[in-house]
Amino acid sequence: MSTDLGSAPSGSHGVKRRDFLKVVGATGAATTLVGCTSEKVGRLIPYVVQPDQTVPSVSNYFATVVREGSEAAGVLAEVREGRVIKVEGNPQHPGNRGAVNARQLAAVQGLYNPDRYRAPLKREGGKLVATTWADALGILSRQLGTARSQGAAGRAVFINQAELGSFPAFLDQWLAAFGMPAHVAYDADAQLATVAANRAAYNAAWPRLDFTAARLVVSFSGDFLDHYGNQVPQQLDWADARAKLEGAPRAIYVGPRRSLTGLNADEWIPVRPGTELAVAQLLRGQLPAAAAAEQTGVAQAVLERLAQEVTAAGNGLLAVAGCGMPNARELGDAVAALNQAAGAVGRTIRPDQAHPAPARVASFGEVRALVERMNAGQVPLVMVRHANPAFSSPAALGFADAFKKVPFKVSFSSVPDETSELCDLVLPDHHALESWGDAEAGPGQIALQQPAMDPVFDTRQTADALIALARADQTTAARFADRDYRAYLMARTPGGAATWTANLPKGVIAGSVQQGAAAAAPVARPAAAPAIPAQPANGEMFLVVYPHALIGGDGRGANKPWLQELPDPVSKVCWQSWVEIHPQTAKRMGVERGDELEVRTAQGSFKAPAFIYMGVRPDTVAIALGQGHPGYGRYAKGIGSNAYAVLGTAEDAAGGLVLTAGTARVSKTGNSMDLVSTEGSARQHGRGIGQAVLVGELGGLREATGAENAAVAPQGGSGDVQGTAREVTGPSATGGAAGGAAGGAAAKAAGDHGAAGGEHGAAAGGHGEAPAGGGHGGEGAVEIPGEPSKAFLPGLRSPVANDAQGNYGDPTSKDKGMYDPNHPSGAAKRRWAMTVDLARCTGCSACVTACYSENNLPTVGAPWQGRALAPGAWDTRPGANVVKGREMSWIRLERYYEGALNAENEFQPDFDTRFVPMMCQHCGNAPCEPVCPVYATYHSPDGLNVQVYNRCVGTRYCSNNCPYKVRYFNWFGYGEPDRRQYAWPEPMNWALNPDVTVRGKGVMEKCTFCVQRIREVEHVAKLQNRELNPDEFTTACAQACPSRAIQFGDAADPQWTVAQLANDRRAYHVFEQLNVFTAVVYLKKVSHPAPGSAPATA
Amino acid sequence: MATIARPVPGTVTPRPNIASADVQLPGVRDYEQVDNEIIGTMTPTAGWFGALGLAIVCMLIGASSWVYQIYWGLGQAGYAPPVMWGVYIITFVFWVGIGHAGTLISAILYLFRAGFRTTIYRVSEAMTVFAVMTAGLFPIIHIGRPWKFFWLLPYPNWRLIWPNFKSPLVWDVFAISTYLTISTTFLYVGLIPDIAVLRDRETNPVRKRIFSILSLGWRNSDREWRHFARAYLFLAAFSTPLVLSVHSVVSFDFAMALTPGWHATIFPPYFVAGAIFSGFAMVWTIVIPIRRWFNLKHYVTLNQLDATAKVVLFTSLVVGSAYLIEFFIAWYSGVPAEIEYFYNRVFGQWWWSAWILLCCNMVMPMSLFSQKLRRNTTWLFILSLFINLGMWYERWVIVVPSLSHEFEPWQWTHYMPSWVDMGFLVGSFGWFFMWFLLFTKQLPVFALAEIKEIIPPKMRGGHHGEPDVSGGGHQGPVAAGGTH
Repeated sequence: MSTDLGSAPSGSHGVKRRDFLKVVGATGAATTLVGCTSEKVGRLIPYVVQPDQTVPSVSNYFATVVREGSEAAGVLAEVREGRVIKVEGNPQHPGNRGAVNARQLAAVQGLYNPDRYRAPLKREGGKLVATTWADALGILSRQLGTARSQGAAGRAVFINQAELGSFPAFLDQWLAAFGMPAHVAYDADAQLATVAANRAAYNAAWPRLDFTAARLVVSFSGDFLDHYGNQVPQQLDWADARAKLEGAPRAIYVGPRRSLTGLNADEWIPVRPGTELAVAQLLRGQLPAAAAAEQTGVAQAVLERLAQEVTAAGNGLLAVAGCGMPNARELGDAVAALNQAAGAVGRTIRPDQAHPAPARVASFGEVRALVERMNAGQVPLVMVRHANPAFSSPAALGFADAFKKVPFKVSFSSVPDETSELCDLVLPDHHALESWGDAEAGPGQIALQQPAMDPVFDTRQTADALIALARADQTTAARFADRDYRAYLMARTPGGAATWTANLPKGVIAGSVQQGAAAAAPVARPAAAPAIPAQPANGEMFLVVYPHALIGGDGRGANKPWLQELPDPVSKVCWQSWVEIHPQTAKRMGVERGDELEVRTAQGSFKAPAFIYMGVRPDTVAIALGQGHPGYGRYAKGIGSNAYAVLGTAEDAAGGLVLTAGTARVSKTGNSMDLVSTEGSARQHGRGIGQAVLVGELGGLREATGAENAAVAPQGGSGDVQGTAREVTGPSATGGAAGGAAGGAAAKAAGDHGAAGGEHGAAAGGHGEAPAGGGHGGEGAVEIPGEPSKAFLPGLRSPVANDAQGNYGDPTSKDKGMYDPNHPSGAAKRRWAMTVDLARCTGCSACVTACYSENNLPTVGAPWQGRALAPGAWDTRPGANVVKGREMSWIRLERYYEGALNAENEFQPDFDTRFVPMMCQHCGNAPCEPVCPVYATYHSPDGLNVQVYNRCVGTRYCSNNCPYKVRYFNWFGYGEPDRRQYAWPEPMNWALNPDVTVRGKGVMEKCTFCVQRIREVEHVAKLQNRELNPDEFTTACAQACPSRAIQFGDAADPQWTVAQLANDRRAYHVFEQLNVFTAVVYLKKVSHPAPGSAPATA
Repeated sequence: MATIARPVPGTVTPRPNIASADVQLPGVRDYEQVDNEIIGTMTPTAGWFGALGLAIVCMLIGASSWVYQIYWGLGQAGYAPPVMWGVYIITFVFWVGIGHAGTLISAILYLFRAGFRTTIYRVSEAMTVFAVMTAGLFPIIHIGRPWKFFWLLPYPNWRLIWPNFKSPLVWDVFAISTYLTISTTFLYVGLIPDIAVLRDRETNPVRKRIFSILSLGWRNSDREWRHFARAYLFLAAFSTPLVLSVHSVVSFDFAMALTPGWHATIFPPYFVAGAIFSGFAMVWTIVIPIRRWFNLKHYVTLNQLDATAKVVLFTSLVVGSAYLIEFFIAWYSGVPAEIEYFYNRVFGQWWWSAWILLCCNMVMPMSLFSQKLRRNTTWLFILSLFINLGMWYERWVIVVPSLSHEFEPWQWTHYMPSWVDMGFLVGSFGWFFMWFLLFTKQLPVFALAEIKEIIPPKMRGGHHGEPDVSGGGHQGPVAAGGTH
């Protein structure tokens, strides 16, 4: 009622009755509204001056590099309004090729980690207190000056993480300027023996393993799918090879424990720890089979058959050596010789396409020598950057104690890890996503690293800090002409700044980082005979220690809740450590799942609950390195146990730390706890969730013929719908002619592949060749046992969503609204669908973390996120919510075993593993929809099973009625900052995807098929006045997948890959007997049994 | 009031088996005795205050659990997905079931002229109302956003958003609200002549005023009685289908889902039988102590209890057969998930709950084949507690093991209620008994008018009452209500 607008009552005094009532009514309504709403009203503030490049609600992508371990992954950082919200693979990068793994995805949580150093710190009165950069750099400058003036600079030490790129060379240059020796490149996960053997044999640290050219892959504990070499590129190659089906290599894993790689192999030869060498020697003919059988504890017949297979494979052999055992170097050499003898080098082993590796990594001997020098008081100054040897070295080495004796210690790490917490000065580095840099990308290619956003905290890139120090010092200033590290990098790049800048958007540039930097000389080998692995004394067991597949052996990922929450791909345990023990041994010892076991060696002990695992030898226990941090931030502290406690300080011939540490005494402590695992039953109980087919039976799989398609052509209207949908899509859109009649036309066209008239015909025609050229001649259409009928697959292909509740459309109904295929919105023309190829899937779980990142899934397992056990007393066990099954992962990776049903009583290594990514199946006839009393879940016209969070009241009936159990409920206010269950403590909430709601407590949520991405591309296409292009976009899980196992798209349009794959002969629906018409099609895994043997499972 | 039961003048030979015959109250002489003794129970005693206090404390435990749960979220309960329903739904079905016996006794047995209902019907009907009131809370307690519960109601709104009438939960809303409305009305209508008695005896002017309003000006005229009898008959007929429909609808919550162990067409009759079974047990739990504490053994006689015990025995046999048929159907269906679930029900993870159920609901009630035990009130009371336990576990066995053992083995899980769940369970009993105890001291828990019908009427001038004029095939009221 503002007077200056002239709306004041004119000519009358006071308030009119009408106005009064209006005001009262309006205020009353407003008060009621405000009072009744449970949602806080947010404020949107527009930019006064819009930053360059930034369009609100539109993402920018910056090609850069993340370093989560010694590899440097080429990624695209998705930036929204100046903040990185997600990391995606850079398709231009020769390594990642658009894929990304869980650790790399979690880089965002490293960037926004709430425990990161927020400013430089100096030690005052025994505590680290914040200070300014000027002060901190001044202190370091004085220390450097003192060291130099006292002549002690030559004894100073700089410990850096082992990393790719120009920085190591730059660092050495800087150190040299100050008269300090070259830095120590520390990597707790370094596989020195393998690298040394590879360099010696192939002249490349990590030759590319070309699985596609292989006929037989034999891995000697070489975990190329978890932490051997460069995981993502290897997994891409592996999946491509396995997708060749009939032409795919058979894989055999030789080792004491089935790692993820071992579970993906077709056969496991369970040798004693450290006796992989004996098998390699047998294969080279250097050891008689009987002796090898004696050493390895494997039946002679098995080894002889292996030898025959290796011989038969000829130059199709691809042998991979692992690391960690005492004779790792000898094993590496023997395996390399095996490859060379088979003629595999250059064919399956490709040194010419080697993956990059750090030029130099300190051997364990160097680290031990450093500890001795520190203990002797010979080291006046230590600088450490992103390496955490105080945690990631054997406790028996005593690094931390020695480190404390150094008079002045400086850390450049950006997180409060165990080492930097001991330092006197902390100069926190930028995160990789805030830094300039570069890294080797592949032969002749450099990946460029650029900041994707302004620094989150008051940190400074170490290289810049070092340049500043050097330029401030008159003796060194002359050597550092470049103003900062970026200028330094540009100057070094071939072609200079212009080329550099021009290629920055792509992220990759031709050239070499290590110009003139010679590869490290191979470590001199002791001439001693191969170390014979220790034999367990009476009552002892072999101990296998391996790096945690997600957290990393150096424990680097432990402070990222996504990685803590992501179940280990093998054990499915999260937020915890575990001890793998064979069921037979467990039965003998009376150990139940979750009973706490103590693993005691001469060096120390490790306590963790038992995980009863068929994939470990009965005389062996296996534990993972990486957990059990005493510090390192809120998410890492106190989670699990530290396996470095039990490690000895032995090293192999290449100077690598021996992990397979020999023997240990294993005993029950008497405690029992819940194993924090997402595993329900590890058996399918014959329910056909993860199905497989023997390679020999592939030909018998029924082809989806044109006739079959026609028989199940969708109901009226679909033919012309799809015709029009495709008219403008692509160059090969010849199907637009099929505009006329509906079902009949589709059927006719389907029979006529040549004309490619109808979409179904095209789909069926394209299909025979589509799945990786799987040539098969199954004219006989042999029905294999258990082969599900394909009767329902067409239900997927048809736009079934004629009706809100998934009923097949009533042809007589006139009012279908948006569900009418001819509705002007065109919404019902599409049927979003997904295919999951189990032959490709390795179970690596990158899709899960990608989903967490894209869809703002809360992590629920932190120790403070549990529920109250009694009023006021909280369940502070890590993973308490996960024990209750309350993890929120919209996509979960199920790991089912087949075979070995009597593992409790005997050792049965011949079990098969099925990894099944399980997400909302977007049923056409969804059981969740009719039971919701408020229509919070309903069917969209394009086949999505939609969940409306705002409408959900939380009856959870939908979840009860979901056969796949893929609906997740917000038990707590994970999105409410004032709750202890809050999942994104500031600034971790900066990584939330603004396109996706953060769900409130009390509502149900589930996989949406990344509906925000669907709608985004639809809107973009509409703005550009065009139809969607086939495979124009994909979901977050499919995009990340380093196996390319997941495909997403429009199944109603045969030009999309997913439409072709849905017609694959291996296609099936999970629980199709339930008539729910799922939109997710699984393609059967293909098992490759030994030639001439019938495996236990099919 | 209107019942076929006619007092037999003169000496009566007590007949032990009277299930379908008249009821005799040889210990009750005249109307004054009825009024005095029954209204006498309405004087508060120390024991009553103690019981009410306990009930209120229990209720407050539930209330504070609710505040706590709303603040923190449903995660404070023991839910372990995919066990998305737990103690709340179990307790909801339990209380709905309890209510059914009350309606059965007050309405169906009325229509069937079962005389033994007369003295226990008021207790049962009150129990129904309070049990439904209790049950009705649980769907709201159980949902994730209870402050949005009204979205389940079909209220007119500007956006034309309606509830999903396909959802059994919406059917529940209608079933429960209808049931609460009808049973409350039925209880109130039956109370009108009794309230008139209270009004006439009341000296406190405030209470007298309240009673006069509630009694709707009842003057005990013939015309009033005739209308009253017709209304009562009509309401009884109206309530009767609800006994069958409400629990059938509740059973649809399960039967309409495709979860193994739920997806069964036997559920509606099986649930109704179970409800009557549990409701009669609850009647025992309430009536037997009242009968003893208030020394009203001559009103609620052993003959009547004997008759109710036969109903319990019969429903137990029905429920027991349903249990066994479920196993047969599971086997006969040939669905692996179903077969595995039912095997698991008795021999798997949840074996103990299934055996509690089978012992309490199938085996123990077999004792009622013995007439001696049927007439032993101590045994009946103990048995009633076991049946209540068994019926709670019946719902447990339906809800928890089914959800924890579904199609997807990777999501098989374990469930254990938390203290919050238990707080609500305790709170529900507190809430129920709080209302019941308050009821016992405000209104007569035994129907004055109806009891007066079955005792020899006060003779006036040495002849019997007026001939029946109400018609309807049964003999109408003779002389009851009011103080003469």
